[in-house]
Amino acid sequence: MSCFAISRRDGSFHLGLLYAVEQFIKIAPRMVVALIAASFMVKLVPTDIIGRFLGDNSGFTGIFIGSVAGLIVPAGPVISFAIAAALAAQGASVPALVAFITAWSLFSAHRIMLFEIPLLGPAFVRMRMLSVMLLPVLAGTLALIINEVLSRTRL
Amino acid sequence: MFWGFAAFAALMAALCYGVLGTEAFNSAVARDLQMITDLLPRIAAAQVVAGLAWFMLPRDRLSRMLKKTGGRRGLAMATVAGIITPGGPMAAFPFTVIIANAGADRGVLVAYLASWALLGMQRIIVWDLPFMGAEFSTLRFLISLPMPIVAGMIARRLPFSVSLEKITSGESLRQ
Repeated sequence: MSCFAISRRDGSFHLGLLYAVEQFIKIAPRMVVALIAASFMVKLVPTDIIGRFLGDNSGFTGIFIGSVAGLIVPAGPVISFAIAAALAAQGASVPALVAFITAWSLFSAHRIMLFEIPLLGPAFVRMRMLSVMLLPVLAGTLALIINEVLSRTRL
Repeated sequence: MFWGFAAFAALMAALCYGVLGTEAFNSAVARDLQMITDLLPRIAAAQVVAGLAWFMLPRDRLSRMLKKTGGRRGLAMATVAGIITPGGPMAAFPFTVIIANAGADRGVLVAYLASWALLGMQRIIVWDLPFMGAEFSTLRFLISLPMPIVAGMIARRLPFSVSLEKITSGESLRQ
């Protein structure tokens, strides 16, 4: 991408770089703090709960809980991905994490709702919610199946 | 609808005041005001972008392109569009309004937004990869590839009718 921007020779490389650095400076402190906060938060929940409900053996429960959690987390990507990373570090299973991130991306209980309803109307948002409702669980289940298949073939 | 929201807000405010006391209430109000002043310009900007682009885009070409979006092919196109959409909600939502007004059906709209949300390249590069690692991100990406199409198919089969307000005029556009 940098090569493409440089080849344009109209300053877009510089502008792009400046913009990226600017954004990074804005986000980096928040990211660091969010990661720290998320780690603490996740540590507060005892590891055996995470293990029992979201861990590798939790199966569908983990997927379901991950989906619901992703649905209700009213935060931007900084916090949400920090939470996901912290959960992963504490032993959450891949299917549960996939469900969590899928749910959060699709619903984004926060600003995107505030964006979406004014721009597209509540009727559209309601329809979109309904269309998309099953996807986190579906994604988590697919991840589960893939994991099973992979582990069986390895054995 | 608006009054429903307003009533809910008032209820939450009362609860906050009653349960948590004046100080918590004041800080919540302050934070709300800050959030509003933060968001309103952005929403206004998104509206402006949508409006401007609507007038600037070659509408016939867009309509012709969109006429080909019946069936699963349209959903696939929407998915690809979502993957390559640069930028965040400020790009995706105005674009959604534009193609809606140009005639895209609800399946395409839902698929596009789902694709942007789940597969948007920018999101994956900036957030998925650093936080979750390449292996997890690749797995999630591959799993999520069919999702927008599924969502679009579901959207098309939903029974009730949905109307989408045109940004240029006040009319509703039945989908």
